Amino acid sequence: MTAAADVSRAAAVAPPRSAFGAAFDKAFEILCFSAATFLLTALGGIVVSLAIGGWPAFQAFGFGFFTSAEWDPVQEVYGSAGAVAGTLISAALALLFALPLSFGIAIFLVELCPPMLRRPIGTAVELLAGIPSIVYGMWGLFVFAPWFAKHIQMPIMMSAEPGTLWEKITTGVPNGAGVLSASIILAIMILPFIAATMRELLLTIPAQVRESAYGLGSTTFEVVRKVSIPYIRTGAIGAVMLGLGRALGETMAVTFIIGNAHGFPTSIFASGSTIASTIANEFAEATGVLHTSSLIALGLVLFIITFVVLALARLLIGRQANL
Amino acid sequence: MTALGAPRLSRRIGEGAFLVFCWLATGIAILALAAILWSLLSQGIGGLDLDIFTKSTPAPGSEGGLLNAIMGSLMMCVVAMVGAVFIGVLAGTWLSEFARDSHYGKVIRFLNDVLLSAPSILVGLFIYTIIVAPLKGFSGFAGAVALALIAAPVITRTTEDVLRLQPIALREASVALGAPVWSTILTVIWKAAQGGMLTGALLAFARISGETAPLLFTALNNQFLSLDMTKPTANLPVVIFNFALSAYDDWRRLAWAGALLIAATVLTVTIVARILAREPRRS
Amino acid sequence: MNAQLENPPETAVLELPPEVVKLAIKDLNFFYGQKQALFDVSVSFAANAVTALIGPSGCGKSTLLRVLNRMYSLYPGQRAQGQVLLDGEDMLSPRVDVATLRARVGMVFQKPTPFPMSIFDNVAYGVKLYEKLSKADMAARVEDSLRRAALWDEVKDKLKESGLSLSGGQQQRLCVARGIAVKPEVLLLDEPASALDPISTARLEETIAELKRDYTIVIVTHNMGQAARLSDHTGFMYLGKLIEFGETEQLFTNPVTTRARDYITGRFG
Repeated sequence: MTAAADVSRAAAVAPPRSAFGAAFDKAFEILCFSAATFLLTALGGIVVSLAIGGWPAFQAFGFGFFTSAEWDPVQEVYGSAGAVAGTLISAALALLFALPLSFGIAIFLVELCPPMLRRPIGTAVELLAGIPSIVYGMWGLFVFAPWFAKHIQMPIMMSAEPGTLWEKITTGVPNGAGVLSASIILAIMILPFIAATMRELLLTIPAQVRESAYGLGSTTFEVVRKVSIPYIRTGAIGAVMLGLGRALGETMAVTFIIGNAHGFPTSIFASGSTIASTIANEFAEATGVLHTSSLIALGLVLFIITFVVLALARLLIGRQANL
Repeated sequence: MTALGAPRLSRRIGEGAFLVFCWLATGIAILALAAILWSLLSQGIGGLDLDIFTKSTPAPGSEGGLLNAIMGSLMMCVVAMVGAVFIGVLAGTWLSEFARDSHYGKVIRFLNDVLLSAPSILVGLFIYTIIVAPLKGFSGFAGAVALALIAAPVITRTTEDVLRLQPIALREASVALGAPVWSTILTVIWKAAQGGMLTGALLAFARISGETAPLLFTALNNQFLSLDMTKPTANLPVVIFNFALSAYDDWRRLAWAGALLIAATVLTVTIVARILAREPRRS
Repeated sequence: MNAQLENPPETAVLELPPEVVKLAIKDLNFFYGQKQALFDVSVSFAANAVTALIGPSGCGKSTLLRVLNRMYSLYPGQRAQGQVLLDGEDMLSPRVDVATLRARVGMVFQKPTPFPMSIFDNVAYGVKLYEKLSKADMAARVEDSLRRAALWDEVKDKLKESGLSLSGGQQQRLCVARGIAVKPEVLLLDEPASALDPISTARLEETIAELKRDYTIVIVTHNMGQAARLSDHTGFMYLGKLIEFGETEQLFTNPVTTRARDYITGRFG
């Protein structure tokens, strides 16, 4: 103890210390860690429970479960191909419609929108994303379907000459339901997600890059084509995949309007089903263990497809997107 | 192209077409939103009367409302949020404060995002197999757990994002005074981030209040008003689902009213959350 | 006297008489992972005096400062070897509780970091961790700290308002008040005025000059004028080594080593 220490201590009159709390630190960290691990466990639990629940179906049908489109509760024969086809087709079509529109909206918001309108329109797009899927389902069935039947389906079907290829691919009941209608509703649903993500990606382009492109005399179209898109290409693909992931798993919007027929859809106006719609429709009244198990097996298939798409999206987009 | 003149015609046409397309795309989105909101309002307002909030769901042909469904949804959402906030805030805190660079942290982050985007019907199936089937009964409790599993990853993500935004110096300043880490997080960092965390919770609530699929095989439905969550519990989304696809007019009217209610709730909560997020908080 | 030495020494570190030494560093080596940032640093800090650490960016002065309150222990991969002797006791020893160390050795950071709470709660924050004071005692402690930090007159009527509502210079003095409320023995200041305007800087410097009556102060600064104005001793660092240390006036008017001379005359840095 030095004299200097005495002096300074007397002046400061340091009070007695009691160290506490270091023990709580570890406990708190463990608590937080457990919460995080709980999420991991839940996800693992989902996979495991789907696998276990679906096992009897896999056992009964083997690989044929994936290749057969026959879904017959009476005969107790189940195959996932029809539902998988419906899922993939409706999601792909939805993406086909949604992608260019989302992109147009994103460009609009970033490059073309008058500043005063930017916030309201941005909010409008966000609201579109927030509408619950059951509302989309109801709107799809009760408002969109009749309109679609009257203004699109009927004219197309009337114009098809019997016997032609065109007629074959446009047969169906003109009630507005079917795979195509479901795809359109899905497209409207995933539109705001992809648009919002694309917009954020576009906003990451440094102002100087865009300005130098414009400064060289390029039109908006050229800047977008030659500068913006290449700059965000990887992220944009990731955004697309995230939209795809959402479309694959959507239940309520699709169940209302897809027609709920098993097997491969054979025309653009045919009814179909997706994995999610099949489960939603049949699970509550599943007849017997094999039926239930097949539905759960369908769920596992959906999970795997979605997981792969999400993993790819994550690889491409990192953690940029806020969805 | 001439050195100083207007761009070639083909460029101008391309530009013009592109601009039209972008305006059109936005117009379509706005139109869709307007159409949906219009349908909700026109079809739903007619069914909205005081009965909605005072009577339970009726048998077809008789008078009724949506009271039991509203109560059930509220109960399940609140219970779900309690669980989801607890898990989500702690998990998000772990990711931000204890696991920024760790390998395990990266894994958890990725899997959290997977859970966030997983089809909600699969979550319902999961809860069915681990709660409903073993206990041999549908329950509001199971429904709440399913909703919590959907909300938790949202809160985890938003919590982590907002905690990461807090400057490192803030943590160091607290530690430099001799504060333990847990005190630093609870009394300084969480406090600084509370606006963002609230926004995240509101957005999660908006999300689960509109979810139908996870409730189909967990809470099922209940014709009557009941506050007992260990039994099947009425809820708005499933009621709407059943009533909308039915053949009865009064049921359909109630379905639209219910849809309007849900949409109004979700949109209001979303807007409130966005407004809160934009305002910098000063006490 | 301006003796031109034939061969100026590489380093020149003044040894202080032990009775005035409050804090001493012996043979300190510091590593960020594999990269070494401090090399065999030994220096002592006098009690109730201001010691400044100067040097070009990256010379290790902030790193050195952060060893003094073991701030580096928050980050795995950062480690220190050597001794930090506070009143003769080695603070780097694992037996020493780091929270207690930090209560004895306080720190004010470069950017003001008011906590998201009222001004009163900001100052009381550290105190509440360690002491159970009655409301009256706490109010007295807060007032005393704010007075010493030359902030009391400006905030005495708005103690309940958020710390974030103050100006930058006031926020920094709030951080000083917060730091001294726990009655530390040593105060570490890491470029405390670099985010402030000249007027606030002047006020802060006045405060520091007052504080040295009761505290031992170590200040890192890239502003040589500030070091010359405020400090009793100054250490010049370069590339992780302590090149020269001595009385401030002597160092600035007649530096012994070439490196120090070059830096002070503005040849680099």
